[in-house]
Amino acid sequence: MRRARGRALPGAVAALCRALPPRARPAPDTLRRARFDRPQASSHCWRLLCSLLKQVHGGKWTEPDAIDIQIRFIKSVLWYHGYGRPELYRLPSDGSAGSRELLLAFSWLLHRISLLEQLLARNRVRTGDETSVCTCEDDLTNSQKGRTEIAPEYSLEDKVDVRYLQWLHGRLRFQWRSLHALHQEQSKLLHKIHLFTSGSHMDKILGHFSVTETELIRQPENYKQLLQFLESETMQLEAFLEWKQLEQVYWHWMETVLDDMAEEGSMCKSQDAHTMKSMLPKGDSCCHWAGSLVGKIDRLSRDLMTVHDQLQELVTHRKSAWYEKVKTREEELQKEEFCAAARKTQEAVELKLLDLTYHCAPKKPKMHGSCRLVFRSKHSASKTGFGRSVSKEPISTVSATEVIRELQMRKASLERELKQLQEECRQRMDEIAEGLDGVICISP
Amino acid sequence: MSIVTVQLGQCGNQIGHEVFNAICSDVHGTHGLCSKKENESYHEASKERFFSEEKSGVPVARAVLVDMEPKVISQTLSIAARSGCWKYDDRSHFCQKQGSGNNWANGYSVHGPKHKDRIMNLVRKEAEKCDRLSGFFTIMSMAGGTGSGLGAFVTQCLKDAFPASFILNHVIWPYGTGEVIVQNYNSVLTLSHLYRSSDALLVHENDVIHKICAQLMNIKQISFRDVNQVIAHQLGSVFQPIYTGAGPLHYSRSPLGDLMETLVPHPEFKMLGLRNIPQMPENSLAYSTFSWPGLIKHLRQMLIANATMEEGIDWQVRPPRPGSSIPSKHSTSKSLHFNTSIANLVLLRGKDMHSADLGSFQDPALYTSWLNPQDAFNLWKTPRAFNKYEKSAALVSNSQFLLKPLDNLVGKAWNMFASKAYIHQYTKFGIEEEDFLDSFTALEQVISSYTTL
Repeated sequence: MRRARGRALPGAVAALCRALPPRARPAPDTLRRARFDRPQASSHCWRLLCSLLKQVHGGKWTEPDAIDIQIRFIKSVLWYHGYGRPELYRLPSDGSAGSRELLLAFSWLLHRISLLEQLLARNRVRTGDETSVCTCEDDLTNSQKGRTEIAPEYSLEDKVDVRYLQWLHGRLRFQWRSLHALHQEQSKLLHKIHLFTSGSHMDKILGHFSVTETELIRQPENYKQLLQFLESETMQLEAFLEWKQLEQVYWHWMETVLDDMAEEGSMCKSQDAHTMKSMLPKGDSCCHWAGSLVGKIDRLSRDLMTVHDQLQELVTHRKSAWYEKVKTREEELQKEEFCAAARKTQEAVELKLLDLTYHCAPKKPKMHGSCRLVFRSKHSASKTGFGRSVSKEPISTVSATEVIRELQMRKASLERELKQLQEECRQRMDEIAEGLDGVICISP
Repeated sequence: MSIVTVQLGQCGNQIGHEVFNAICSDVHGTHGLCSKKENESYHEASKERFFSEEKSGVPVARAVLVDMEPKVISQTLSIAARSGCWKYDDRSHFCQKQGSGNNWANGYSVHGPKHKDRIMNLVRKEAEKCDRLSGFFTIMSMAGGTGSGLGAFVTQCLKDAFPASFILNHVIWPYGTGEVIVQNYNSVLTLSHLYRSSDALLVHENDVIHKICAQLMNIKQISFRDVNQVIAHQLGSVFQPIYTGAGPLHYSRSPLGDLMETLVPHPEFKMLGLRNIPQMPENSLAYSTFSWPGLIKHLRQMLIANATMEEGIDWQVRPPRPGSSIPSKHSTSKSLHFNTSIANLVLLRGKDMHSADLGSFQDPALYTSWLNPQDAFNLWKTPRAFNKYEKSAALVSNSQFLLKPLDNLVGKAWNMFASKAYIHQYTKFGIEEEDFLDSFTALEQVISSYTTL
C-alpha cells in the first residue's frame, strides 16, 4: 500500500503543478521539499502563493511587491477565508521560514476555496461573448474588497463644503452614464457580429461566431497566440483531470505532514496559548470553532421559536382589535362609502402582500456569474428584436427575456422602496423645518 | 462616440451648417502637421463622431434640422449637398409652413406638443444609426420663437426619451440692441427651462463674436455668415477629436461625457463660456508664428479679466492673493474685475503641445474655495493642428463669464415684466405670469450661486 502510494505521489504532485496557471507554476520538487522547511525554499513559496492568491482575487498581473507586503497580503487573505492556524500568522515577514506552514495553507486553500477550480475558471480563453448576470438580492454585507476611500486632503478644518460633495456626486452620475453608453455600444456591436455571422459556424447549435473567432478572421496572424493559449489551457485541464484521480494520495501525504507537525507542536503548545489569543483578534481556534457553532445554532433555533410564538400572539391580538375597528367603522359610514373604502384598502393590502410574499418566498436560485450570450432568431416574442430564447440543451441556459423580466421586477421594487424612503425623508425635513423659525422647506 | 446635432430655428440651422463645414474642411485639410497615422485616426474619429456612412460614399451629417419655416432648411440642405464634401440626410428634417413669430409661447406650447412625435421620430432614427450615442448637441438662439421656445420643448423631450444620454445646448445670446422687442422674455424663459433639462449650456454672445469679426478678422461688412463661421471654428476646436487621458492611447471615446464630467457635475452651475485663440484672417496665417507660452499667457489673462478676445485685455487684473480678502461676502467688488472659476478645461491643438506648461492655470487663487485645482482644471491635447492654425488653444470655462450678461438680461426682462408689456402675447398661448415668475426665480438662483463663488 505504502509503496503504491509512494509511486503515485510524485504523479499527483506533478499533475497538481501542471494544472496551475503558467505564471505561478512551481516545480513538483518545490512542493515536496517544502515540507522540510528549508529557508531558501521559503521565500520562493511565499511569492508563489502570493501570485496565486492575487489571481484569484481578481488582481491583474503586476510587478511583484516587496516580500513583506506580499507576506502581509497572504496572511490577510488567509484570515479572510478563515484559516485559523496561529503558527502561520507568527511567521516572520522576511520570508526566511515557513515553507511547511505554507504548504499546509496551500493545501487548505485547495480544498476550502477550490483554488484550482477558481484559477482554471479565471484563466480560460475568452470568447468575448461573456456577460455577467446578477439577480441576487442586495446584501448589505456585500463585497469588502477594494473599499478604500481617499478623503479630500485640502480642507483646513475637518469639514467638507457640501458643494464639493455635490460636485463629486455629479461626476459619479456622469461616469455612470458614460458606462451605460459603453455597455449599450458593446451590446449593439455584439449583436451585429452575431447577426452577420449567423449560419457560418461549424457548431450548428451555436450558429454564429464569437468575438474571439471574428477577431481571428480579421487578423489571422494572431492565430499562433490563440493556439498557444488554447494548448496551454487544454494541458491544464488534462492535468486537472489527472489530479482529480490521484487526489487521495496527496491528501494522505498531507496527513503525514500534519502528523509530523503535531508531534513537534505538542512540545511547545503550552507557551503558545496566550500569544495565540493576542494574535487573533477574534479568538476561537479551529478546535473551539465547531463547538461554538453548534451552540450558536441551538440558541438561534430557540430564539426563533420564541419569536414565532410572540408573532402568533400579536397576530391574534391585532386581528381581534381590527375586527372591532371594522365594525365601528361600518356603523359610522354608509354602505356605499364603506364598500369603496374597503375596496381601496383591499387593493393596497394585496399590493403589500405581493411585496411581502416576494420577499419571504423561498428564493428561486438567483442567477449570478458570467454567461455566454448566444443569438437566436426572432421566433420567440421580444419587441426589440433581440430575441434570445431558450434552447433545449443539456447545458444550463436561460432566456434573456426571463432575466429582463426578473430585473424589471427588481427595478420596480427598488423604485417603490426609493419612493418610500423619499417620503420619509420629506416628512422628516418638514418636521425639522417646522421647528426652525423663518425657514421654509421646499422639497423637489 | 457619436454626437447627434439638433439644429433648431433659423439661427440653429445656419450655424449647424457652418459647423459641419468647418469640421469637414479641417478633416480633409493637409495641414495636420502630424504623422500620417495620427492624421488617419483623427480622421476616423471625427467622421465617426459627426457623420455616418452612406452607400453613395459622401458622408452624411448626423443631424436633425427643425424649423417652422421651410426657407432656411431648404437653403441649408442644398448648399450642403452642392459642396460635394458632405451632405444632410434628405429625410432628417422637419418644417412647417408658418413660423413662430418670435413668440416663445407659440414655439413651446403650441408647435412643440403638436409636432413632438414627428420630431422625436427623426431624432430616434438618427440615434439608432449610431453605434454608440455620446449625446445630443442642440443649437439654438434665445431671442426668436422657434429656436428658443420649440428648442426648450425639444430639449425636454430629449431628456425624457434618452435619460442616460448627455445633452449639451449651444445657445446664442442675442445682440444687446437686438431687433426683437421681446427677446429678453424669450431668453429668460429659454434659459430657465433649459437649466432643468439640459446638462450644460454653452453660450456664444453675438456682440462678442461681432467684435472678433471686426477687430481680429478685419472684416468690413460683417454678415451673419462671418459670425457663424467664427462660431463654427470655436465649436470645432472643442469637439474635434482630442486626447483626454494622461496617455495618448486613443481619442476620447465619449466627447460629451468627458466634457460634462470635467466642467458641470454640479447641478447649479451649468453655464459655460468659450474662448479661443488665436483668431485671425486666413490670409495672415502664413505670416504668423505662435508660441505656446504666449498663447497660454493670453488665455489665462482672458480668463481672469473676463476678456473676450486676445486684444484689449486688461492686464491689471490679478487674482486675489490668498488670505488677503474674505471670500463671498465681499466678493461684489472682486467679481466686477476678477473672474472666479469653478472649473476650466484647456484644449491644445498643434505642434509641440507637450512642451506647453500650464502651471499658471493650476493656481488655486483662480478657483472657488470649495474646489481644488486638481479637480477643477483639466488639460486635453493633441498634436494634430486644427483648421490651418499651427497652434491653437481653446478654453471652456465654467466661471463668472456670463454673470454680468445674465444679470443685465434678467434686469431688462424684469423691467418689462413689471410693466406687463407684451405679456398678453404669451398668455394667449398658455404661458401664464406664474411661469414667468418661476423663470425669474430660477435665474435669480443661478445668478446668486455664481455671485457667491
